[in-house]
Amino acid sequence: MLKIKNLSASYGNKKVLRNLNFEVKKGDIVAIVGESGTGKTTLAMSIMGLLSEQSADAEISGSILFNGTDICSASRQELLKIRWKKISMVFQNIDNILNPTISVYNQISEILNGKKNNLQINNMLERVGFPSNRASAYPHQLSMGEKQKVLIAMAYILEPELIILDEPTSSLDNETKNSLIKVIKKLSQGRTALLLTHDLDTVKKLSEKTMVLYGGSTVESGHTKKIFSNPRHPYTRGLIRSYPSMNRTKDLQGIRGRPEFVDTGCPFWPRCTQLINICRIYRPPLKKYGDTMLACHRGGIIPLLNVENISKSYNNLTVLKSAYLNVYEGETVTLLGRSGSGKTTLAKIIMGLIKPFGGNIYLENKKIEKWDFSFYKRTQMIFQEVESAVSHRLNVLDAVIEPMVIHRVKSKSDMIEDAKKVLSEVELPTDKNFLHLYPHHLSGGELQRVVIARALVLSPKLLIADEPTSSLDASIQAKILKLLNRIQEERGLGMLFITHDLGVARKVSDRILKLENGIITKERLR
Amino acid sequence: MHISVRKNLKKNKSAQAGLVILTILFLITIIAPLFTKDPETFSKMILSEPSLTNILGTNDLGQDIFSRLLFGLRTSMFVSISAGLLATLLSVAIGVLAGFTGGLFDEVIMRIIDSMLVIPSIIILILISAFIKPNLISLVILISLFHWQGGARIIRGQTLVIKQKIHIYSARTFGAKKAYILTRHIIPDLGNIIMASFLHNARSAVFLEAGMAFIGISSLSSISLGTMMHNALEFYYLPVWLWWLLPSGIMLSLVLVSFTLLSNLIEKIIDPRLKDA
Repeated sequence: MLKIKNLSASYGNKKVLRNLNFEVKKGDIVAIVGESGTGKTTLAMSIMGLLSEQSADAEISGSILFNGTDICSASRQELLKIRWKKISMVFQNIDNILNPTISVYNQISEILNGKKNNLQINNMLERVGFPSNRASAYPHQLSMGEKQKVLIAMAYILEPELIILDEPTSSLDNETKNSLIKVIKKLSQGRTALLLTHDLDTVKKLSEKTMVLYGGSTVESGHTKKIFSNPRHPYTRGLIRSYPSMNRTKDLQGIRGRPEFVDTGCPFWPRCTQLINICRIYRPPLKKYGDTMLACHRGGIIPLLNVENISKSYNNLTVLKSAYLNVYEGETVTLLGRSGSGKTTLAKIIMGLIKPFGGNIYLENKKIEKWDFSFYKRTQMIFQEVESAVSHRLNVLDAVIEPMVIHRVKSKSDMIEDAKKVLSEVELPTDKNFLHLYPHHLSGGELQRVVIARALVLSPKLLIADEPTSSLDASIQAKILKLLNRIQEERGLGMLFITHDLGVARKVSDRILKLENGIITKERLR
Repeated sequence: MHISVRKNLKKNKSAQAGLVILTILFLITIIAPLFTKDPETFSKMILSEPSLTNILGTNDLGQDIFSRLLFGLRTSMFVSISAGLLATLLSVAIGVLAGFTGGLFDEVIMRIIDSMLVIPSIIILILISAFIKPNLISLVILISLFHWQGGARIIRGQTLVIKQKIHIYSARTFGAKKAYILTRHIIPDLGNIIMASFLHNARSAVFLEAGMAFIGISSLSSISLGTMMHNALEFYYLPVWLWWLLPSGIMLSLVLVSFTLLSNLIEKIIDPRLKDA
């Protein structure tokens, strides 16, 4: 029905859409999601053939085929035939769309070319849930929800084949939003709709397919349910994480940096946490991965850690029977279990401090045979006992540079610079006095921050945090957990968080696993 | 637990006294040749009373007792420090390695130490010395060979404790090699115990050297406080013991007391239960 091929659009020098390709089949409701400024409205305007009318310096290339007609090259006459009759749109800026001097009734009848078909208009207003006795009201007398309903009625009254819904539910309260979603769902039955929004809740409720747009190109597309339950692109995951959802207990996390759209390489690379060199140079093509299409050089969010079939026992006591777990880049997996259930043993096995009886450990899909510098550069651990985690003979500076000293990679002055950077990242002072304090001079919270700084100074990708807050009081615990959350957002750190505290687990984790009787099971709490 | 030896030393008067005495004695041994006569030179003036030329008089061979006293002190200091160092070095090397490596190596070493501790070392030392009449260097080696075991045992135990500490695990998770962990963490953490072990070994070495010289089984070529006391006792019926036996006895006691005072301090540092005792 709608086929978009190599669509690019720009305003002067500013490219907004880049080489967009997708197809919408008859009867589909496709959601296009992305932050503000990713080109959603430009796409809608292009499909409506309104782009050049909206802005004088707009340029468009590629083709938009609607039932075989290319909208990009269509004449004004052809467009007039299609617009509103075949393709209609619910515009975003409600207040600017309705003419303040014309009543609702007349506004709708304008679309019917001035034919005042009372029955049709009343019928439509009823279908969208707009009280028909208020049809003579003027736009300024209506609430936001009512205005939106009028707009929807206007879009649907000609029974078009394709409807573009540009942010139909943003800036509405939840109750109104839900009733509108119901209305749209009913009206769209048997029709094709394109839903452009950043409101993920609406996407989940309305659409079957979702396309994620960033910097004017598709980064991921597929079935809505799949994309929400298992996002593959770091940007998609970032969007889902920043959206407050009723059944998500983890603190909100944003996407690092701000949208700045680059001309070379992957559009997302300036903000991506799993960036490699190729990402800066070549634009990744949209490839099929299972059911979803994905544009990422790394094949989506990379699995950092895979633990397979690990077993361990001490004398006659079996601690781990057959433990499996995995941690992806930028996610927090919590391992929950009572004390003595083998949580720390598993962490120590992963770190190569204890030898398991059997099983394999993979880091970034490579089997670990030897625990060497390259492993420890990518994986770090925070131990449970804060007080003894730093040698009493080392001051703050020595403690933080110790990992770099061991790796012998930098000059002393560089190491001190790095140490100061990490210390400010964990919100500690970097003045001389503080750097020369010894562990026994520091409070529990400060010492824990020093320990975190030590673990971060080698820029690991995976952090194993073994009860990092169990010895801290609640207020300091809250601060440390927030700190870890922020660092994860900034660095894309994968975290294996070990705790016995369910409350903490729910607050920090993307997934919760339970270790019981030597076996890891999924905890259904989220 | 963070311990500052200097801070503890500031609070402990007797340890300060020990340190002062030891320092003075050490300085004396270094500068002794500057203001003494040749201790070996014989003269016809035998068993003379103290005078301006011979501050502590002369012995039965006409040698200057004061010069011999200072050179005897030199021997004691040399033996104590070098035997102390050598024995401690052996204790640390063997103890730390056994504790850190564990397993069969540890088992074997520990059984060797046990068997050596069972044998009374003084008797063996006397027996060997009687045969080889050791000079200073071989004496130091002999004493060291029979003094590292106790220290090694303690150090091994402590190593076992320290290697389980979280900061050692942390260092391992940074990728630290064994050598780094040993030299930067375990041995520095053992500092106080190594110090105690050194002081203990040094003190016993002084005592052993003097004792063996006293019973006449060490080399006659070296001047020793033990030999001086042995010789002085032959003339106990003359008043010479006042300036011959007494000064050498006092000198030996001073060395022993100063070592003891210092090791008491270290013991208190290591074992906080002794703090208020």
